[in-house]
Amino acid sequence: MSTVKPLDVAIIGGGFAGIGAAIRLKQSGVTDFAILERGDEVGGTWRDNTYPGAACDIPSRLYSYSFAPNPDWSHTYSSSSEILGYIATMVDKFALLSYFRFSHTVTAVEFDEDAGIWRVSVDGHPTVTARTIVMASGPLANASLPAIRGIETYEGHKIHSARWDHDYDFTGKKVAVVGTGASAVQIVPKLVEQAASVKVFQRTPGWALPRVNLRTSERTKKLYRRFPATQTLARNAWFWGHESVALGVVWNTPLTRVVELVGKAHLRSQVKDPWLRRQLTPDFRAGCKRLLMTSDYYPALQKDNCTLVTWPIAKIAPKGIRTVEGIEHQFDCIVFATGFDVSKTGTPIPITGRGGRVLAEEWKTGARAYKSIAVSGYPNMYFTFGPNSGPGHSSALVYMAAQIDYLVEAITTVLDRNLKVLDVRQERQDEYNVDLQKRLDKTTWNSGCKSWYLTDDGFNSTMFPGFATQYANQLKSVELDDFTTVAMEPASQVRVPAGARAV
Amino acid sequence: MAMDLDNMLTKIKDKQWSLADIDWDAPGADTISPELHARLKPFMADLVWIENVGARGFAALARKAPNDTLKNIYLHFHAEEQKHANAELALMRRWGMLDGDEVPEPNVNVKLAIDWLDKYSDGMSLSFLGTVIPMLEVALDGALVKFIVDEISDPVCQEVFKNINSDESRHLAVGFEVLDILGHARTRKIVIELLGGWMNPALILGALMYVPLLNKMRDNIVAMGVNEERLYSAMRRFQSVGDRSTFVKRMPMYRIVSWHAGVVVNRKHPYHLFADGMVKATSHFPKRLLGPQPTWSKELTYEPVA
Repeated sequence: MSTVKPLDVAIIGGGFAGIGAAIRLKQSGVTDFAILERGDEVGGTWRDNTYPGAACDIPSRLYSYSFAPNPDWSHTYSSSSEILGYIATMVDKFALLSYFRFSHTVTAVEFDEDAGIWRVSVDGHPTVTARTIVMASGPLANASLPAIRGIETYEGHKIHSARWDHDYDFTGKKVAVVGTGASAVQIVPKLVEQAASVKVFQRTPGWALPRVNLRTSERTKKLYRRFPATQTLARNAWFWGHESVALGVVWNTPLTRVVELVGKAHLRSQVKDPWLRRQLTPDFRAGCKRLLMTSDYYPALQKDNCTLVTWPIAKIAPKGIRTVEGIEHQFDCIVFATGFDVSKTGTPIPITGRGGRVLAEEWKTGARAYKSIAVSGYPNMYFTFGPNSGPGHSSALVYMAAQIDYLVEAITTVLDRNLKVLDVRQERQDEYNVDLQKRLDKTTWNSGCKSWYLTDDGFNSTMFPGFATQYANQLKSVELDDFTTVAMEPASQVRVPAGARAV
Repeated sequence: MAMDLDNMLTKIKDKQWSLADIDWDAPGADTISPELHARLKPFMADLVWIENVGARGFAALARKAPNDTLKNIYLHFHAEEQKHANAELALMRRWGMLDGDEVPEPNVNVKLAIDWLDKYSDGMSLSFLGTVIPMLEVALDGALVKFIVDEISDPVCQEVFKNINSDESRHLAVGFEVLDILGHARTRKIVIELLGGWMNPALILGALMYVPLLNKMRDNIVAMGVNEERLYSAMRRFQSVGDRSTFVKRMPMYRIVSWHAGVVVNRKHPYHLFADGMVKATSHFPKRLLGPQPTWSKELTYEPVA
């Protein structure tokens, strides 16, 4: 057992959420924390997703923290490298680098109820102990090749979009792209410029809306710098614009038809061939799967060196992909833009709570938490992007900021009141989830299509059925009524007031 | 007993074959005599196009499927019909039947079918598509494929049609299962669907396209030397399999198609005065009235590898 004094907070994951939590903890006077990061650099998902064309499909003004505004965004929508630059700037500005412990892959966490501390097992390193944990490992952190028959027999080059091989030269190569989701629609337009030929294998077409990406003028940047309120105003305008989109995207309403009409008009304006248009027309309600924001995907598909293949894949053979129409499509390289391994049932690492209960067991039929952040039986542990915290219409960072403020309040409560246990009441969690699932029934996500939002059994443990404003409001403050508390024994440590503790 | 569609989908995936599995240069191509070659060429061209038309029918069915499993099955059948067309085209190439490696032109009745499918098939009901497509599969595929297997000894041809037959048996099994499911609906729903369907002018147009298509194909088949009895038995198969289920028999569309099938094979029936007239009329159909050939009908290929 470790004899080292436990940290106040262990943050697991050094992406957007981990860094945001660290900033807000510091601003609240909590400085005894560490960020355990499995990689060698900061950045999380944006460090990993560096495929050509990688960019955010939410406007940057909104895809950034309100407590760390950036007047220098070059365009409406930013590339992954610019977002990564923003993350690095935050790390610098808030002096977070010293809190990072890189190459620290957390393998398990276990709550020691007697001591009121979490024991965090780290691969190849001593166990870290902490009074509280922030699980900021991210929903889109893990990616693996899809389970397509024969994939292991393929002799060419294989690349997953989330683990891009920058050493591979696509010039003059025959390339396949498997998948037509958010990553693929960004990759394909870039690949057709470089590769000899590109075949895009589609299972289900998504709703695509135009993405108008304007350059931000120097004058506007200057304005934002000199008068930060103007930037806040611009952010608010984007925020409320996206909130209004929820009416058509989150719920199946007449406005959903409007979104579909825009999607169809976009398709019609860019694709002249009726059969190709049919192949690209979704047969589910807009919003049921993630909307695709792209203006250059359809034109790329119609380039002479690009083909859309909608025949089902029969198997992958040593030289290429065999489709059910009997043809073997041969390639030098297959790019799998097939998404991420999102934990909807089970947990990414073993989590053991009070009385030895195992969270993966409890989440076997679908993950459930209280307000997406806390789970009964697993005290002093807080999820960012936990169950049912996904936005379908707005910026993940808006949701994340609300989560972070809530968990910082919970953590300071544990520390200030010297609590051994701050555990959400089971009945509150159950009531919350019954109501949540009832509300989810009325959303587009539960309207019949298969998506990564749902478990195989159709249970929705990923999305929040409401406006971003509603989500943030429910997290406005930590109601102690919702929790059971156990105080530390008198001899135990008491939090040193902010500013008086060593970093 | 009701079919487990999930198991059927798994079976379909397990049974996949590819043009690349077949050695198209294997010996045996010379077993086709010059006389057979001449008769076989238009026959094979018709067959290729019928498969392609069937493929498009399944694409329309996939849009109507009431659940994901059936939709996925139909998407596979769509691709499998295309595979059959591709494989038959590859056989034509093997036998030197393609002029300059060009895909043969469809005849005017097939062109009309393509045009109709392109414009209206996605708007047809599951009960209509789900009845007509099994009928076409049984009558045309069943009779034609059986003829080829019996008459042509080329081992490559035998291998190809063994695979095609195996696929078709699953298409038919699912086809009749779906008819059975549809036949479980309340009488009121069945009647409303029938009346509503026939009030759609596209269905009337479809019938007017279907009548000469079938008669033309029948004549071509007979000219080819296929015994009419073979067609009879294929039609009887459609009727006997359908009649086994009380619920299939409840489907008026099935009754209509089944009756029509009986009439088509009975050359003495007065119906043929009308149908033959339609064949003649359509042979004068002005091509300019047809829309441009849809992209889906230009995707046929005899190349196993792309």
